[in-house]
Amino acid sequence: MALLALVLIPLIAASLLLAMRPAAATARGLALVSTLLTLAVVLWLWYTWAGTAVTAYSLDWVPAWGMRFTIGYGGIGLLMLVLTGVLFPFIIGTGYKQPVGDAALVNALLLYSQAALFGVFMAQNAFLFYIFFELSLIPIFFLLLRWGGEHKRAITIRFFLYTLLGGLALLFSIAYATLQTPAPHSADFSALAALQLPAATQQWLFWTLFLAFAIKMPIFPFHSWQPETYTMAPTQGTMVLSAIMGKMGIYGIVVFLFTIVPIGTAYWQHLVIGLSLFGAVYAAVIAFRQDDFKRLVAYSSMSHLGLMCAALFTWNAYGISGGLYQTFAHGVLMVCLFYIAGMMEQRVGGNDLARMGGLKTRMPRFALLFMLIVGNAISMPLTQSFPGEWLMFNGLWQLNPWIALAGVVLIVLGAIYMLYVYQRVLLGPDRDVAVADADGEEHFMLVPLIAIIFLVGLFPNLVLQLVDAPVQQLLNTFTSLH
Amino acid sequence: MSALVLISVLGVAVLYLGIFGRKVILAPVAIIGLLAAIALLASGWHIHHPLLEGMLRFDRLATGFGIGMAAITVLVFLFGPDYYARKEWHVAEQYALMLFSLVGGLLMASYTNLLMLFLGYEVLSIPLYVLAGGKKRSLRSSEASLKYFLLGSFATAFMLMGIALLYSLTGSFDTGKLAAYMAAHAAPNMMLNFGLLFVVLGLAFKAGIVPFHFWKPDVYQGAPTLVTTFMATVVLMAAIAGFYRFIDATGMPHALATVLALLVLATLLVGNVIALRQTNFKRLMAYSSISHSGFLLLALLTDTGFAEGHGAAVGGTLLYYTFTYSLATTGLFILFTIAKRANQGAEHNGIFKGLWHAQPWLALCALALLLSLAGIPLTAGFIAKYQVFLLAIGAGWLKVMLFGVLMALLGIYYYIMVARELFAPAEQPVTFAVAPLNWAVVTLCTLAVLALGVWPHLPGL
Repeated sequence: MALLALVLIPLIAASLLLAMRPAAATARGLALVSTLLTLAVVLWLWYTWAGTAVTAYSLDWVPAWGMRFTIGYGGIGLLMLVLTGVLFPFIIGTGYKQPVGDAALVNALLLYSQAALFGVFMAQNAFLFYIFFELSLIPIFFLLLRWGGEHKRAITIRFFLYTLLGGLALLFSIAYATLQTPAPHSADFSALAALQLPAATQQWLFWTLFLAFAIKMPIFPFHSWQPETYTMAPTQGTMVLSAIMGKMGIYGIVVFLFTIVPIGTAYWQHLVIGLSLFGAVYAAVIAFRQDDFKRLVAYSSMSHLGLMCAALFTWNAYGISGGLYQTFAHGVLMVCLFYIAGMMEQRVGGNDLARMGGLKTRMPRFALLFMLIVGNAISMPLTQSFPGEWLMFNGLWQLNPWIALAGVVLIVLGAIYMLYVYQRVLLGPDRDVAVADADGEEHFMLVPLIAIIFLVGLFPNLVLQLVDAPVQQLLNTFTSLH
Repeated sequence: MSALVLISVLGVAVLYLGIFGRKVILAPVAIIGLLAAIALLASGWHIHHPLLEGMLRFDRLATGFGIGMAAITVLVFLFGPDYYARKEWHVAEQYALMLFSLVGGLLMASYTNLLMLFLGYEVLSIPLYVLAGGKKRSLRSSEASLKYFLLGSFATAFMLMGIALLYSLTGSFDTGKLAAYMAAHAAPNMMLNFGLLFVVLGLAFKAGIVPFHFWKPDVYQGAPTLVTTFMATVVLMAAIAGFYRFIDATGMPHALATVLALLVLATLLVGNVIALRQTNFKRLMAYSSISHSGFLLLALLTDTGFAEGHGAAVGGTLLYYTFTYSLATTGLFILFTIAKRANQGAEHNGIFKGLWHAQPWLALCALALLLSLAGIPLTAGFIAKYQVFLLAIGAGWLKVMLFGVLMALLGIYYYIMVARELFAPAEQPVTFAVAPLNWAVVTLCTLAVLALGVWPHLPGL
C-alpha cells in the first residue's frame, strides 16, 4: 500500500493542480505538502527496511506478452526511492524563490515526473519499468519546451529524441529477452534474471540495453545532449534531470545488465570502464574551461557519473557499493549546486562567471554555505561524497592500479575546477554592485541540504546498509559465472 | 452475409432518401443501419460456415475487421452532418458511395476466392475515385480523383494479371486450392512467383506501400477531408485485411518474403523521412499513414513461409493496429477540420496554434491521439507497435525490426512537432467553433485509444 501511495500521492496532487488551477502560492503549497507526504512514506520504508526484497503486488496485465503489474523493492530500489523522496521537496521548494511561469502547471508537471520516477524504481517487471521510464520523460519534455532558455526548441527536441532512441532500444531488448523466457512468457525481473542466454547473444544484447542507460546518465560518447539541456532548462527541470533521472541509468545498469546479460557485461567490461573514465576526465577538463556556471555544473555532473559508471563495472564489492552510494550523494550535490547557480543567476542576471566575482564581502553568509557545498563537491572528509569516492577508488584499484590513477586525476581535476569556480564567483577585488546576501528562504533550502551532506558523511552506513546485501548477491552471481 | 446485404440495401435506401431531399435524416438513417449491421456481424461471431459456394468465409477475424470498419464508418458519418452542413454538394451520394465502398471492404476481409478479392477490391475502389473528386470546383480535388483513378486502374490490372497467372496454374480461384498447389510444388516456379507477386503489388498499392505510394499524399490532400478520413481508416483496414488473407492463405515462398522485406524497409524509410519535411497536415498524415503501412507489412511478413492458418496472432495484431490507428486518425482529422475553419481554410501544421488556450480539453485529446500515432506508452498505438515488434522478433526478422525501431523514432519526432503547435500561443486570436457532436466523437476516439492502450485485451481477440 505504501508503494502505491508513492505513485498516487503526486499523481492526485498534480491532477488537482491541473484541474483547479489555483493561485501560485496555493499551488506551491499543495505541491510541497504532497512531496513532504511522499518523503514521510519513503522515510518510513527506509526505517522499516528489514534487509530483504519486498514484492508488494503482482497482478496479471497482459499475460500473453509477459506484462505483469509487479511492484516491490530491494535495497537498491529503496535507495533510489529514498533519493527521489528526499530530493523532491527541495526541488519543489526551489520554485518559491526561483519561480518559472505558471506555478500550477509547472508544479503539476514536476509531480507527474515524480510519480513516474517512483514507478521506475519500484517496478519489478521490465515492461512496467519501460512504461514508467518513458512516462517520466514527458512532463520534463513539456517543462523544457515551455520554460527553457535560449534555443529551447532545438535543444529539447534533441534531448527528447536522444532519450527516446535509448528507450526504444531498451524496449527492443525487453521484447527480445521476454520472448526467450519459457512459455508462458514473463517480463518480471526475476524471470529475466533466470534466463541464461548464450554468450554471443549477450554480447550484442548488452549494447542495446546499455545504449538506453548510457544516454540517460550520460556516458561518453552518448552525452552530447546533456550540457545544452542542463544549461537551457529551468533550474527545477535541471535538478530532476541531473539529480534523479540520470540515476535511472545507474539503476538500470545494475538491474538489467548485471542480471540479464552478465556474460556480455564481463565481455565489454573494460571497454565500458575505458569509455566512462575517458568521458569523466574529458568532462572535467571541459568543466574547467567553462565560463557559464550552469554549464560547468553540467559537465561536472557528467564527470561524476562517468566515474560512478566505471566503478560499477569494476565488479567488486567496493566499486559497486561506492557507485551506488554515490548516486545518493551526487543527487544531493546536484540540487545544491543548481540551486546556487539559480541564486547567482537571479542576482547578477545570468550564468556568466565573468559577471560574478568579488562578492564575498557583500554576501558573507552565502559564501559560507557555498564553501560547505564546494567541500562536498571535492569530496572533503566528513562530507558525504568522501566515503563514496574512497570506495570507488578502492574498487578501481582492486581491478588495476593504473585505472585507479585515472580516479586520482579526476579527484584532482574536480578540486581544481570547483575551487576555481568558488574563486571566480566570490573572490577577487570587491565590485561596487548591490547584491543581496542569502535570505531566510534560501537558508531554509540550503541548510537542511548541508545537514544531509554532513549527516551522511558522518554516518555513511545509513545509505550503505541498503546496498550491502544486494551487492553481495550480485557478486555471488558473478563468481558463479567464472 | 446478412450484414453485407443490409449495407448494400442501406446504400440504395440512402440514395432514394436523397432524391426526396431530406438532407437532415441521411446521416441518422445510415448510422442506424450500420449499427444494425454491426449487431448482425457480432451475432454471427461464432459462425464460421462458408458463404456463396465457399467464396466468402466470415471467420472471427473477418467478423472483427467487419465490425471495426463499420464502427469507424459510423464515426466518420457522425462527423458528416457538421461537415456537409455548409456544403451544397449532393450529400446522399457521398454517404451511399461510402457505404458501397464499405461493402467492398467487407468482401476483402472475408474472401476465400480470388474472384471475390477482385470484386471486393473494385467495389471498394470505384466509389473512392468518385468521392475523391467530391469538390467539383477544386482543382486539387479533381487532380486527386484523376490520379487515384489512373494509378488505381494500373494496380487493378496488375492484380488481375496475377490472378490469371495463378488460375492458369491451379485451374481454380480458390485460395485453399492455391495453397494445396503450392504445398505440392515446392520447387521454384516463375509463373507461380509472378502470379503471387502481381497480386501482392495490387494489394500493396491500396495499402500505400513504397514504391506504390505516390497517389497517397496528393489524394489525401486533394480529397474532401471527410473522404480523406474514410480513406485513411476504413480503406486501409480493408486493404490490410485483404493483404493478410492472401498472405495467410498462400504463405509466400521465401523469395517473395525477401521482396516483402525490401518493401518494408523502403516503406518505413520513405514514409518517415519524407514526413519530416511536411508542412501541410494532410500530407503529413499521408506520409505517416505510409509509415504505418510499413509497420503493418512488417507484421504481415512474419506470416510468410507457413501453410494456411498460421497467423492468428498476426491477424489479431493487424486488426488491433489498424483499428486503433483509425480511431486516432478519425479524431485528428475532425480536429484538423475544426482548426482549418478557425484559420480561414489554411492547412499547414501551424493552424493548431492556440488550441490549448481556447479549448484545453480538445488540445489534450489531440495530444493523446498524436502520442498514440507516435507509439508512446499507455496509448493504443504503443501496444500496436509493440505487438509488431514481438512478432518480428519472434519470427527472427531482427535487423528489419531494428531498422523499424529507428524509423519509429523519426515518427515520434514529426508527431511531437505537431503536438508542440497545440500549446503554442496563436499569433492573432482565433476562435475554434466546435459542434457538440464533433466534440463527442473526438472525446470518444481519445478515450477509446487510451482504454485500448491500458487494457489491450478489451476487444476479446
